[in-house]
Amino acid sequence: MNELLAQFLSEARDALEGIGGKLMELENAPDDQELMTQLFRTVHTLKGNSGLFDFPEMSRVLHAGEDLMDAVRHGEVQYSQDLADRLLDAMDFVSALCDGIEKEAPVSPEMANEAVRQAKALRALIRTTAEPEAAAPSDAPATPAGPALPLAQWLARVPEAIRMEAWEQAQHGSPLVWVHYVPSEECFYQGDDPLHQANLTPGWLWTGMAARAPWPALPELDAYRCMLDFDVLAAADEAEITTHYRYVPDQIQTVVVPPLWLLIPQGDPNGGPVYDDFVEDALGLLESGDLAGLGRAVDTMLDLSSAALWLSSALRWMQRLLAMPVPDVAALRRLVESLHTLQAPAWSEPVAVTVAASSASAKNVQTGNVHAIALKNVIDVQREVLSLPDDAAWLPGRIKAAVASLSGCLRAFGRHSELEALNAAAEHALAHKSAAGLAQWLDAAFPDQAETTSPAPAPEATVASATPAAIAVESVSAAPVAPVVSSVADTALGAKELLDADAPEADVKFGRRSEDATPKSLKVDQVKIDRLMNLIGEMVVAKNAMPYLANRAEAVFGVRELSREIKAQYATINRISEEMQDAIMQIRMMPVSFVFQRFPRLVRDISRRLGKQVNLELEGQDTAADKNIIESLGDPLVHIVRNSLDHGFEMPDVRLAAGKPVAGTLRIAARQEADRVVIEISDDGKGIDAHAVKVKAYQKGLIDEAAMDRMTDQEAVNLVFIPGFSTSDVVSDLSGRGVGMDVVRTAIEQVHGSIVLESVKGEGTRIRLSLPLSMAVTNVMTVESNQQMFGIPMDAVVETVRVPRSAVRTIKQRKATVLRGRVVPLRDLNTVLGLAAPPLTNDSDEYAVLVVRVGDAQLGLLVDDFHETADIILKPLSGVLAGLRAYSGSALMGDGTVLMVLNTKEML
Amino acid sequence: MAMEYRDNEVVFSDIVGVEDAEVLLAWLQGREGVRADFAACTHMHPANVQVLMAAQVCVAQWPVAAVPLEVALRSAFSTGS
Repeated sequence: MNELLAQFLSEARDALEGIGGKLMELENAPDDQELMTQLFRTVHTLKGNSGLFDFPEMSRVLHAGEDLMDAVRHGEVQYSQDLADRLLDAMDFVSALCDGIEKEAPVSPEMANEAVRQAKALRALIRTTAEPEAAAPSDAPATPAGPALPLAQWLARVPEAIRMEAWEQAQHGSPLVWVHYVPSEECFYQGDDPLHQANLTPGWLWTGMAARAPWPALPELDAYRCMLDFDVLAAADEAEITTHYRYVPDQIQTVVVPPLWLLIPQGDPNGGPVYDDFVEDALGLLESGDLAGLGRAVDTMLDLSSAALWLSSALRWMQRLLAMPVPDVAALRRLVESLHTLQAPAWSEPVAVTVAASSASAKNVQTGNVHAIALKNVIDVQREVLSLPDDAAWLPGRIKAAVASLSGCLRAFGRHSELEALNAAAEHALAHKSAAGLAQWLDAAFPDQAETTSPAPAPEATVASATPAAIAVESVSAAPVAPVVSSVADTALGAKELLDADAPEADVKFGRRSEDATPKSLKVDQVKIDRLMNLIGEMVVAKNAMPYLANRAEAVFGVRELSREIKAQYATINRISEEMQDAIMQIRMMPVSFVFQRFPRLVRDISRRLGKQVNLELEGQDTAADKNIIESLGDPLVHIVRNSLDHGFEMPDVRLAAGKPVAGTLRIAARQEADRVVIEISDDGKGIDAHAVKVKAYQKGLIDEAAMDRMTDQEAVNLVFIPGFSTSDVVSDLSGRGVGMDVVRTAIEQVHGSIVLESVKGEGTRIRLSLPLSMAVTNVMTVESNQQMFGIPMDAVVETVRVPRSAVRTIKQRKATVLRGRVVPLRDLNTVLGLAAPPLTNDSDEYAVLVVRVGDAQLGLLVDDFHETADIILKPLSGVLAGLRAYSGSALMGDGTVLMVLNTKEML
Repeated sequence: MAMEYRDNEVVFSDIVGVEDAEVLLAWLQGREGVRADFAACTHMHPANVQVLMAAQVCVAQWPVAAVPLEVALRSAFSTGS
């Protein structure tokens, strides 16, 4: 992933968070113009940024969102809950797209469809809520954009040479597509180059540009308002075209070009009776089926005529037609006849007038691109051929010709399976010298063409030629109709956009550059900070080696002077390194708002889903702590908030009955207390029923009867932290699976935090989290046991005492002692660690007891001796050692030794 | 240098970008019968094209080495030259 993209993704996420947050704020203050403008700008920026990359789906949704916000900003659309819902939905979708991009997964078609759907949903809001007159213009473009795409006129703009090339391509089976591309007027501002886009169309043959409206006088011309329409002729599948123009699906119309339509003779119409002779000759040759003769006549005529003449152009096209493997006689005839009028044949009208043509021409009617009519013509003619009397000497030839034509039709329309039946019918017909069997097969295979057949008398022939005319229009326009209908709405919106965009957009456009000029903050990859962290850690260790060095200088080498100098130097380095450490810590500090900002949305969504009314109050969002701490807070807090919403708050009617305000209040407050961050989550819900908890715990076998009786309410509510405990009988999608609070506690404890729960039934619940500001430097107490040094985190240490051997009692095979009237269980650290040596006592036969806090209980550890405390950089154990739960990590001491730090939680 | 202005002729070369359109428009104002030489031009942003079209510029030379551009320009200036 390149850096730009990575930065975009990181910014996009920030922006999405911001959008969510602002929507929340707007919910409380729907009329806040300032907020609305900010929101619009965020969406606008995000959309602009997404345009830097190849994410049309994202841009499309964001664009729709931007338009919607713009409409709201200008008061055209009223802000509503529904609107916020849709926007949030759309932003979630964009977020999902970001996830996909991060995983470098290609956008699936479903996502693409979803993008279109999301954009439509957003745009629908503009439409439904906008003023009626704003909706009116959306109908207007329907008329010009309707079925009457002037394809023939467009094609006439293409030079003959290029049309001939297109014709060649079509003869080689390539589909021809006409793209009518109307870029938005703003497209230059969006960095688009429509000409470039048009010229890069797959299978490109020709690009045309034309002014959308008469040009204004030069002084009034805005060079950067796109006034050009583009037309492209391409030999490619429509699908390829659609992919190429996927950024601007609403700005293009595509039409499949029937190859015959390319035949537009052009040139100097200067002509006279000479042509009439030629036309008559040519028609005669056509009548007699002498195509070779016609070819010669055309060639001669072309030699005699000036190349610029209309006639010559027509003749060249005749050459092309004659060069086809199976020349289209009907088309040739029309072309020849057009010489009379010097008007290009109207290919949009059906070729069906040749129904009465001779049987020889019948098989030549090609299944052209005007599929439906062509097929119909072929079938009609075959039917007529087959209905002729069977006494002709050339009957076998006639049947074979008909069979050839019909099998061609079947192949062209993909009905390969029917070929066999046709061949069988043909063999039968040939064997019996009767076309009747084949005619029956024909009626069965093409029933829909049957009604217009009937051995046609003259008047009906005209009807037959009229009916296909209707079909022709239909089939030719069938392709464009669907996209047109769907694009009508978008085009209309596009038009509206342009209207809207006029004045208000201008400031955004021109203000953009200056906004970007000076970035006030740097975005640094966390890995780099972590590296800095590690380096400073190593430096602290290296620095700590200096006092040892000073001691050695004095004790071993006896140079007192040097020892003093080293110590002085150490003091300086110590000061600098501490400052550095502090500075790096500051970099890693993040405000808790990073976690808090997701709550407005979460609370809103959940409370609406549950039908509860909850006001969220956030406090102390600026309180900062280390990034790791803040990040580890996220999930536990979400858990707590969900629990509170699901179990804590009562339904509005219950609240009312209890004399509380209908809307509950959820307060999340953060503050700093000494070197810890305290976060309190309190609600004024129904609280926890201590008795119910006790009973439940007893039923689940988590506590025994005696414990249940003895337990205070405060202790009881803290039972919810026991794994597998849940008071809710209903497992909802939010909480109640019994994996809630114990997970929360584990997560908090992992970052050396603590959690306390207080609750009063009927009044509410308060959860207090206390977390260290930073985990980078850990203050440990060092103790000695069996000649080894161990560290114990200072926050777990309660006290250090010397206990006479006589004061240690054994209760049920466990040692214990009484300290200030309380029984403290004792454990031998050596035993815990599997060391064989017994604990040592000092000269007065006293044990060294380190009293540590383990959860709520206290435990005395018997060690050999106490040593000083030290600031260390605790590194978690890695590799095979990671499985050793007795240690929370290791640290390098100044003298180069490794200190193992004990995990007191595992000591019980 | 994508654009070079002579007395009453503008010569384009290589790629003429979108930002040139404004300069071109300013230059064209108040001039008549301007001729445009596209011979060495390989691509031109449509903003420039529309300025030239609006100014009814005559084409002196079509692009030599860029077929798509030539085709497109010919369609736009078919009546101009």
